[in-house]
Amino acid sequence: MTSEGTGSGGTTGEGAVEGQQPIRVMVVDDHPMWREAVARDLGDAGCRVVATAGDGREAVRRAPAAAADVVVLDLNLPDLPGVEVCRQLMAHDPAPRVLVLSASGEHADVLEAVKSGATGYLVKSASREELLDAVRRTAVGDPVFTPGLAGLVLGEYRRLAAEPVPAGSRSPAAPQLTERETEVLRLVAKGLAYRQIADRLVLSPRTVQNHVQNTLGKLQLHNRVELVRYAIERGLDDEG
Amino acid sequence: MGTGKRATGVFSVEQPLWRAVAAFRLLTLLYAVGRYAGNSDHYAHPAAAWAYMAVLAVWTFATVRVFSTKARCGWWWLWADLALVVAGILLTRSLDQAVSVDANDVTLPTVRAAATVLGFAVMGGWRPAALAGLLVGVANIGERGRVTSSNAHNIVLLMLAGVAIGYVVELARASEQTLARALEIQAATRERERLARDIHDGVLQVLAMVQRRGAEVGGEAEEIGRMAGEQEIALRALIAEGLVPNASYEAPRRPLHHQDPGEPQDLRALLTPLAGSRVTLSAPGTPVLLPGRAADELSAAVGAAVDNVRKHAGERAHAWILVEDEPGEVVVSVRDDGPGFTPDRLGQAEQEGRLGVSQSIRGRLRDLGGSAEISSAAGQGTEVELRVPRQRVERGSGQ
Repeated sequence: MTSEGTGSGGTTGEGAVEGQQPIRVMVVDDHPMWREAVARDLGDAGCRVVATAGDGREAVRRAPAAAADVVVLDLNLPDLPGVEVCRQLMAHDPAPRVLVLSASGEHADVLEAVKSGATGYLVKSASREELLDAVRRTAVGDPVFTPGLAGLVLGEYRRLAAEPVPAGSRSPAAPQLTERETEVLRLVAKGLAYRQIADRLVLSPRTVQNHVQNTLGKLQLHNRVELVRYAIERGLDDEG
Repeated sequence: MGTGKRATGVFSVEQPLWRAVAAFRLLTLLYAVGRYAGNSDHYAHPAAAWAYMAVLAVWTFATVRVFSTKARCGWWWLWADLALVVAGILLTRSLDQAVSVDANDVTLPTVRAAATVLGFAVMGGWRPAALAGLLVGVANIGERGRVTSSNAHNIVLLMLAGVAIGYVVELARASEQTLARALEIQAATRERERLARDIHDGVLQVLAMVQRRGAEVGGEAEEIGRMAGEQEIALRALIAEGLVPNASYEAPRRPLHHQDPGEPQDLRALLTPLAGSRVTLSAPGTPVLLPGRAADELSAAVGAAVDNVRKHAGERAHAWILVEDEPGEVVVSVRDDGPGFTPDRLGQAEQEGRLGVSQSIRGRLRDLGGSAEISSAAGQGTEVELRVPRQRVERGSGQ
């Protein structure tokens, strides 16, 4: 839909969590041009690019051995849908953290990927600094939100709330945002950095970040519960 | 109708028709033998008649495979079949007793003749069928020696059936060809779209890369990068429109003025053109539907707010548009990262006409029963919040 700057703050740092091993990154993109550029940028900044993959199956196959901390994943892959790759990566133990790096205008996919466990989303046109910052934050589990993603997440909560719950169904209640979380997400969607949001709401930046993280966590949990419920229902149906 | 190569497709009408011809020949043969067995005591030369029936039976059984597909059956086989049947009809006159012939005894091949006419119909359409039917008819008249009413009746029926079936066969064959052509075109189009998607995707990736590198290099390259980014967005929107024929997305893209004003439109689609390298659009993943007029007005108001940002916060200011679809209302916020105002400066600025556009924004929203709120804090940019209630709008446009 649009290009986006990262709305969230954070300082640019080295490609390593302070005083620890360099971040192990795997880059998945079907365009060699992007794969190499991203890998080079990350390598230059001190990350260790442990693997690259040009398609989804290769990515899923190589992920366990690569043991990456962060998988930088393009959703537009030739063989498997990026969302499916994300889902399969999440099934690994330990699961890598996934940073979706995708072209603008693939918003439905981005939402699905985030619901199935991706930690963050960045548009491809984001600058090198934004990318490094996003990888660094993804590595420690901080969600990387663009304003676009915040808008999608807000919309998803409203969609879930508006969905009629069939009577007598075993589906869990739709997750809801607290007032504070809604407030924070709206500000993220309007392009404010965490620091600015913290100033405006008189909170600590860490608290703002926790709110953002919670909004994602609830959505991912709901998604997992729904999947399990679906699987059980299907399983029971098949046997009966 | 030349070669027998066509008719291999899944939807072919050819194969069932030929199977029907083969089956019909066998069934009518059995009928003819049965009828003759019942009538053989009328005959002056039953042995010779039996001999003819034997020849007809052997021929019919021997040519089952020939007559079961178009690939094997040629005109010569059909003519041979016709000749045998006509010979049988004519032989009836010399082998049967004249009294019985006059008493409406059936001919030796009886309805087996119709199977021959059917073969002509399936092979070549209604004209050959009419010709074969005519020849059988003439033979029948020759057998009786004059035209009788039942004779004429049968001939007309035979020719009618032959012509009708032949015509239907021609029609089926023509529509099958049309279908085959349509399928070919469809396959070619799909392939072309797939190629286009690949090519476009490559172009989009390069444009995004130019934007990214341009921003890093800075200076003139940054401007080029910005232009590349805008082209990327434009091209992507175009592809999404061209390759995803989705009714709910397509309607809002049509020129606004030619639309039914009451028809709901997806606000997101109307706002997409506003997005660019310095304008970010955030919206839900599902369509945000508003009645056409309300959607037009609201998107025009958003456009004015974005223009306002460019005018007053500077070319380099960034703007964020957030679309929210709440149960009771649609909320669109436009925020910029310009210098902003302190609250007391806001009123002053408004008086100076610096927020003149905001008056037209407020006017538009008031007409829709909504509201426009402008807020600002020094150092945190200016924010315009537009609210359009759903109920009011729907009732309003329903008049």
